[in-house]
Amino acid sequence: MKRASNPIILALLAIAALVACKKENDDHQHDTNEEELITTVELHFHQVGGGEHKHFTWRDIDGDGGNPPVIVADTLTPGMSYEVSMELLNESVSPTDSITSELQAEAAEHQFFFQVAGADVMVTYNDTDGNGDPLGLVTIWTVGAASSGTIVVTLRHEPDKGAPGVSSGDITNAGGETDIATEFPLVVE
Amino acid sequence: MIIPARPFILLAQCALVPLLAAQTDTCRFALSGQVLDAHDREPLSYAEVFIQTLGKGAVADEQGRYRIEGLCAATYRVLVSHLGCESIEREVRIVGDLSLDFRLEHHAEELRELEVVRDRPDENVGQSRMVLGRDAMDRAAGQGLGELLSTLPGVALQSTGPTIGKPVIHGLSGNRVLTLNQGIRQEDQQWGTEHAPSLDPLSSDRITVVKGAASVQYGSDAIGGVIITEPVELPRDAGIGGELRGLGQSNGQGGGGSGMLQGGVKGWQGFGWRMQGSGRYLGDSEAPGYVLSNTGVREAGASASIGYRDHRRSATVYYSWFQRELGILRAAHIGNLTDLDNAIASGEPWYIDDFTHAIDAPRQTAQHHLLKAEAGYAVTERSRLVATYGYQANDRQEYDRRRLGRSATPALDLWLATHTADAVLKHWIGGRVHGKAGISAVFQRNSNIPGTGVRPLIPDYRRESIGAFIVEHFPLSEKLELEAGARLESAMLRVRKYEDDNTLITPERDFTNAALTLGANWTVRDSVRMRFNLGTAYRPPHVSELYSEGLHHGAAAIEEGDAGLGSERAIKGTIDLQGSWLDGRLAIDATLHASRIDGYIYLRPDGTRLTIRGAFPVFAYTATDALLCGADATINLKLTGRWSWRIRGSTVLARDQREDEWLFLMPADRVDNTVMARWGELGEWRSLELSATSMFVFEQQRAPVGVDFTAPPEGYHLLGLAAAISRPMGNGDLRIGLQATNIFNAAYRDYMDRFRYYADARGFDLLLSVRYAFGRTA
Repeated sequence: MKRASNPIILALLAIAALVACKKENDDHQHDTNEEELITTVELHFHQVGGGEHKHFTWRDIDGDGGNPPVIVADTLTPGMSYEVSMELLNESVSPTDSITSELQAEAAEHQFFFQVAGADVMVTYNDTDGNGDPLGLVTIWTVGAASSGTIVVTLRHEPDKGAPGVSSGDITNAGGETDIATEFPLVVE
Repeated sequence: MIIPARPFILLAQCALVPLLAAQTDTCRFALSGQVLDAHDREPLSYAEVFIQTLGKGAVADEQGRYRIEGLCAATYRVLVSHLGCESIEREVRIVGDLSLDFRLEHHAEELRELEVVRDRPDENVGQSRMVLGRDAMDRAAGQGLGELLSTLPGVALQSTGPTIGKPVIHGLSGNRVLTLNQGIRQEDQQWGTEHAPSLDPLSSDRITVVKGAASVQYGSDAIGGVIITEPVELPRDAGIGGELRGLGQSNGQGGGGSGMLQGGVKGWQGFGWRMQGSGRYLGDSEAPGYVLSNTGVREAGASASIGYRDHRRSATVYYSWFQRELGILRAAHIGNLTDLDNAIASGEPWYIDDFTHAIDAPRQTAQHHLLKAEAGYAVTERSRLVATYGYQANDRQEYDRRRLGRSATPALDLWLATHTADAVLKHWIGGRVHGKAGISAVFQRNSNIPGTGVRPLIPDYRRESIGAFIVEHFPLSEKLELEAGARLESAMLRVRKYEDDNTLITPERDFTNAALTLGANWTVRDSVRMRFNLGTAYRPPHVSELYSEGLHHGAAAIEEGDAGLGSERAIKGTIDLQGSWLDGRLAIDATLHASRIDGYIYLRPDGTRLTIRGAFPVFAYTATDALLCGADATINLKLTGRWSWRIRGSTVLARDQREDEWLFLMPADRVDNTVMARWGELGEWRSLELSATSMFVFEQQRAPVGVDFTAPPEGYHLLGLAAAISRPMGNGDLRIGLQATNIFNAAYRDYMDRFRYYADARGFDLLLSVRYAFGRTA
């Protein structure tokens, strides 16, 4: 029976050699940061044809969990029109990562939506992607009479921009995946 | 409940017509019963029962049940034989239908080899169990392991869309169900509900499901039960045999196939080999009314084994490889709770595209390698030592939809390597008491492969465990056998986790657990047997339950681990009744079960958290005490020689005792009815089987309040039809099957499907399967 055991052992060794040495992790390497984390949403308001500047900021530097987000929103002036440009950042890394440029590069696969409640503010798109559909990195905010409410700024990844109402800013049929959904207080006075 | 009942009442009426017109000739009696192993009363599958005077006979089924019809009132000589057993001859006097069980003794000289055959891991006498045999495997070319097993009473399916399914035994799944693949504990990241078992059901010819707490025999995690894909016995003599299977299906527009060859080596008595390969390729599944976009599947598997055995020693080496890539329903990839609410409210997936075979992100790939080497040695005439080593590597990648081409980079990339070593001594103490004692060790290492650009969902870890067990059988009489056993196991877990601020923590945990089992097997009479088992089982918490923290995309929830959790400890009792009455016309197999799990770990709602994506519900891993009980049964009724009726049903009640609430995601009650007709000889064809199955799944009324995002879906009713025909061909055997499922293309959602928030389940499907077995296999 000596003869019998040899081929078995040989086969065992051969298969073990094939399987066993594929990959082993190096203990010192690890994925420390979320490449796609968005920590900060900034809205820069520039008065159309004027010099007034305002800011909205939604910032959660440590990402989900940990410290709660810090939300800051200036009050808007009645009767004013603003050109609003959005900036999205990942401030958990150094140097800070600009997500805005990623959105510009993939404009056709992204769209912002603005849902106003209570306040007398109207938001219209002022930019387009390569297909002529709205993107929303730049918008015009037309402010009416003194009022207060909220605005939810939503960024959808891979929405269906051709669905009814989507190109005019109605989120209902947009689908896609929500990348950000930030709510700001909206005060006009 | 009234409407769904109608189809099977109709079917029952149809079935009764031939019964009323029963035959009246004199040779109308039937001899039926079961062929059993005289030693342990196990059924002898495919034993032959032959009436020499008539030159006719029958081959028993998997359960050893046989039936010979068309007998006259006379005395016959019956020959009963089975491979490896002493054939017996009996004189049988027929005056009416007769139920008779036969018991066969092993060949004296074959006793030791038979022990090799019976080395199949499950030998618990009191344990409730079910077996899926060759016929069920014919349908497996189109199904994953989970779908295949969920046809058994007491087993349900927990799914994540049409592509991912995990078996649920008596309400428990994932890390609470142990899978033994070829006798080795399968280690393939079962903690994730969207991680289907990485194994090819076709790599085995028999799958056993043990429905009890069985940590004594199998180690940790065997709380709900054990799934055993049994090692195939290798041929010992020269000659080649094989099997080819093919399957095509309409829903998914694809199919699968498998091939197997096995043989012995001329001049090398005792050597045997076997090679097997299989594949499956499916495009998008379709629900009634729309395509379930991005739900394609492709799988490939191969295995090879060689072995040697003689009177004293045996050795086998087995290697298998399995690969799967599957798409995840595109519409289920959502961003936040609002998206989820929209998906639930709209009632249709937001993303529906034309049918395609292509798979896009989100998707998963998994590869599983298993190498097993086993050697056995007969230390003395009646005791035998078997040592087994297993190496497994599980390689898993999950791809999300990401920005800037990152969709091609896995968001999760895990490599899990596991070494297992076991040594078992089968022994006798005196002339009656016999059993097994053994030690087992596991060494496991989980690594996150860097480069994902995403914080790991679970940390790197090492796990080592060592355990020892003993199980003894005490035959008290011909009719009653007792079993008792115990195991002690100690496990150590070393974790390497990077906190949010990138500091490394290296917590260590030790878990020591003991398990006991008590069982009895009582043969009430030849055709009625009862099994009783009271067993305990344990499961140390998985790393995911201890240390996971983060957003679960498909579930729109933040899940938080609790590093302080301890082991789950379960005690489960099962009572199993197997028997036949009315001269074998009525067969019942019923199981009652009750279990209590202390420290049952589950996800409990724990407020909401505001993130940049919006508000998310937080779920925290929490321990409670759970109580589960239920029943499942199969009733087979032979209406006439040709027509039979089968009813299967199962129910599980699961309570969270600390919260005094139902447990989440427990399978709803279900009942299925099958009416079957069988023709023995039809010209060239050897057998034809037609069947109609009506399955009703009730609405889950026992769901906890405030845990789910929506109410459980309504109950549903599915109707299926199947036909199978077989004939000899060449030196082999050909079988063709045609099966239609959900023939009314009913739109429904199942409570146990995590994607029920997004889309309906699969609609109508037509499957054509062909099997050709030849040579020694036929």
